[in-house]
Amino acid sequence: MNVEITGLTRRFGQNMAVAGVDLRAGPGVFGLLGPNGAGKTSLLRMLATAIRPTSGRLRLLGRDPGSYGPRREIRRRLGYLPQNLGYYPGFTVAEFVEYFALLKEVPAAQIPAAVTAAIERTGLGGEAKTKLRALSGGMLRRAGIAQAIVNEPGLLLLDEPTAGLDPEQRVAFRALLRELGQRATVVVSTHLVEDVGAACTQVALMDAGKIVFHGAPADLTARGEGHGTGDAPLERGYSAVLAGARS
Amino acid sequence: MTAVRAPAAARPVHATRGHLRAAARLLRLELRRNAMAWMLPVAAGLFWLTAYHKAMAAPPLWNLRATSMQKGALVAFACPVAGAAAWMGSREARRHTTDLVTITARPRWARLLTTWAATTCWAMMGYLGCVAVLYGVTAQQATWGGPLWWPAAVAAAGLPALSALGFAAGTLIPSRFTAPGAAIAAFFALALSTVLIHGSQSYWQISPLVTGPWDIGPDAGVATFYPYLPDLSIAQMMFFAGLTIAVLGALLLPNGPGGGWLRAAAATATAAGLLAAGTAVALAGTGKLDAHGMIAIPALHDAVNDRPVHYTPVCSGTTIPVCLNPAYTSYLPAATAALAPVLNEIAGLPGAPARISQAAATYQQGIGNSVRASLAGPSISGTPPVLRLLLPDQLLGPGMTTSALATALRASAGPAIVAGVTGDSPGASPAQHAVAAALRMSAGLPQSSPSAPGMQPPTATGPLPIPVRSAAQRFTALPASARHAWLVHHLAALRAGRITLAQLP
Amino acid sequence: MTAGTAPTVPTTAAPGRKAQLAWPPRAGIRLLRLHAASRRAPAAIAAIAACAIGLRIALLGHWNTYGALQLPLVFEAGAAAAIAVTTASPLGEPERLTGRWLPFLRLATALALTAAAAGALTAAGTGAHLAGGTLDVLRNLAGMTGIGLLCAAALGGRLAWAGPTAYLVVGVYGLQTQWHPPALTTPWIWPARPPHDLGAAICAALVFTIGMAVITARGARDPAGE
Repeated sequence: MNVEITGLTRRFGQNMAVAGVDLRAGPGVFGLLGPNGAGKTSLLRMLATAIRPTSGRLRLLGRDPGSYGPRREIRRRLGYLPQNLGYYPGFTVAEFVEYFALLKEVPAAQIPAAVTAAIERTGLGGEAKTKLRALSGGMLRRAGIAQAIVNEPGLLLLDEPTAGLDPEQRVAFRALLRELGQRATVVVSTHLVEDVGAACTQVALMDAGKIVFHGAPADLTARGEGHGTGDAPLERGYSAVLAGARS
Repeated sequence: MTAVRAPAAARPVHATRGHLRAAARLLRLELRRNAMAWMLPVAAGLFWLTAYHKAMAAPPLWNLRATSMQKGALVAFACPVAGAAAWMGSREARRHTTDLVTITARPRWARLLTTWAATTCWAMMGYLGCVAVLYGVTAQQATWGGPLWWPAAVAAAGLPALSALGFAAGTLIPSRFTAPGAAIAAFFALALSTVLIHGSQSYWQISPLVTGPWDIGPDAGVATFYPYLPDLSIAQMMFFAGLTIAVLGALLLPNGPGGGWLRAAAATATAAGLLAAGTAVALAGTGKLDAHGMIAIPALHDAVNDRPVHYTPVCSGTTIPVCLNPAYTSYLPAATAALAPVLNEIAGLPGAPARISQAAATYQQGIGNSVRASLAGPSISGTPPVLRLLLPDQLLGPGMTTSALATALRASAGPAIVAGVTGDSPGASPAQHAVAAALRMSAGLPQSSPSAPGMQPPTATGPLPIPVRSAAQRFTALPASARHAWLVHHLAALRAGRITLAQLP
Repeated sequence: MTAGTAPTVPTTAAPGRKAQLAWPPRAGIRLLRLHAASRRAPAAIAAIAACAIGLRIALLGHWNTYGALQLPLVFEAGAAAAIAVTTASPLGEPERLTGRWLPFLRLATALALTAAAAGALTAAGTGAHLAGGTLDVLRNLAGMTGIGLLCAAALGGRLAWAGPTAYLVVGVYGLQTQWHPPALTTPWIWPARPPHDLGAAICAALVFTIGMAVITARGARDPAGE
């Protein structure tokens, strides 16, 4: 198991953003759905070791991120794309990806190949020398994905990865996710249920800091039969589960 | 996007070479995209307008140019370096990449240190370029000696400290007001660092703007006859190194759980840095003005630096040669021309100096920051007698042009040479006063001369009694050869006081 | 969001001309306040106040020769830099594409902060031995603020501090050369000129006016990527 969470909580002042989450995930693509403010981003940031849990137990890639040494090991094999991607406008795409390859301690000799591969896999081969300030929003997002995958992570955390991508690019991105999920645990937080349906093998639905559903996308779809609102089966399942959790 | 399989990342190989290569790559990336590179034209422009402009206004003496450069370079670079470093320190917060970079494997200290190092590298490159230009031009103009490297080294040591302070400010307070605040605070701290200096045993001498006794202006007399004392420079460099290490150590302390050894290392570095800086300040406080015009710190002093520098003087081709230290070669024609009239009058006279030789000044600390430079020992000594003098430039005061120096030399040394030859002094005979006045008139020297420190006291200032003045005018009216011939025969008796006014031709 | 019936919009007569012109003054003040807050004007005022307090404390000491003139210049540069960096807009293009009020807001903010800085620094020098006097403070502050505003238009608001801080070094050196020749006498280095020097005042006023005009018309350059 690459992700093992038991009773995880996170509080920001008075707000309990994550209110007790249990989760186990191995290789595959794991979708994280939920309304705004459900705690998805907070959970993802804890998995990314960006913030510490208030309480609970967390093991990533077989290690406890609470200690410096194991946390550093985890980070070598971690990829993270936040919802709001920060970047240095003066960097080129290649420099941006190389920068993160260096920070993630990819062996120096492998960096050029890893950077090239990451850029090619995200379809930015023709923009490698373009400065980030000159990229469109979608291309910038793909540059963010490239930096997340440059170190061939064992745990890849993506927060709204397809925001700004056109439909064709979303299709290609889902194929990439499935390919990455063969060896790694990929956690995708998204509002787009079709991304979940097309790429994820498991899906969890969060609401008010708790996981209210965990299972296969087909199971979520089944929950929506005869219940729920929405234009697509997964949407109906989504709304049915939420309605049930809130009642 | 394609689902092409990428080469699997091998297990990280923790070999030193691999680490160094990665660090070098990261540094190269940071160097390419560093704000300090854009601030270099500003720094260079300020350097040209202030430090270079001021240094070039000084005579081409290495001591003057180097000490002026040390002060001016730091003032010119302080604002751009501190401001750019603060800007780079706040980069992660400004660009919202904090989360992205925090969750990477490379430790925070390595990441921040690389950004700081890149900023400092650019600052150093700019500074060294400016120093190269200034020293290169001086090398072409100077007539003796070589570059003084200690002043350049002190200013170079100051840049990493300025960069560290600015970077720390930007990292800790990533506000839009931090960069300008850091720039102005750096300038203000530098400017203020010398205000509290009182005398030569002051802790504030650690300020990098101090190269010798404070606030005496440009001093052409030091580090020419005797070596440049590195004592204060060493203390200043130690201070800056300690400050840099302390600031970086405190900044790079891990801010999360774990990393005990890292925390200990950073704390040790901070403590060591503070200790070094504190020790340097204490050492500066023990500094004293030595006889050669520089600050000597007993714990750092090497007695070798007390030995005079060997040199072959440059001399004029006149009958009584005027000999200067070769560093002052450019002054020789003007000095010779200034003294020629009086030397022509006394050449060949018994007791006249065989040579006029420039000597080193001796310095004494006065009250507060006042310093006195004078000639130690008798002005005429040896057989044959050699007259030792100080050029006006060696006396403390505003810098002089060559013509101003010649005028001052003529006004101070000329009457003193005449007095030395004729034995004229406040207690001398009227005949001596008259002959001295006559010689001064013949040489076109002022009758009432300012007292020249280190020289024999001139004749009493003030109008001469009428009989003395008349005798002087009579003596002046003689042809030069007749005057000279009379002096050859009667100078000894004149000096002994056996000649009366009536006996003067 | 639920798919309920959309609320009906009551039809009203088109607003009369008087109603169109009668913009509530409270809205204008509110707009100015929000604009100032977006530019971190309160923090700038705090920075200006800190400069004034620093000047007052520094004037407790006895300064002579050019030191007495250089000292206020440091605090004037600090205030000018604080004013310059407030021109940076965090909102970028969406703000630029709004209506006609933005240039007036920029002008009002810059003028108000400059006036506040002038008042604070002058007050700090009142009753203390401020070499050069109020005229010197106003001239230097206006000129350096103008330089900062021009830098903001060229480099962006967040880098606008480079101009005033660089000019501080130039001004300090210019003052020193009045005592240690060769003196720099150009009126473009106005801190080195006497307070009543007309040429220096004209140069400083010109730079201030041009800076204000440029920042009013164009605003600070938007940083890349934002």
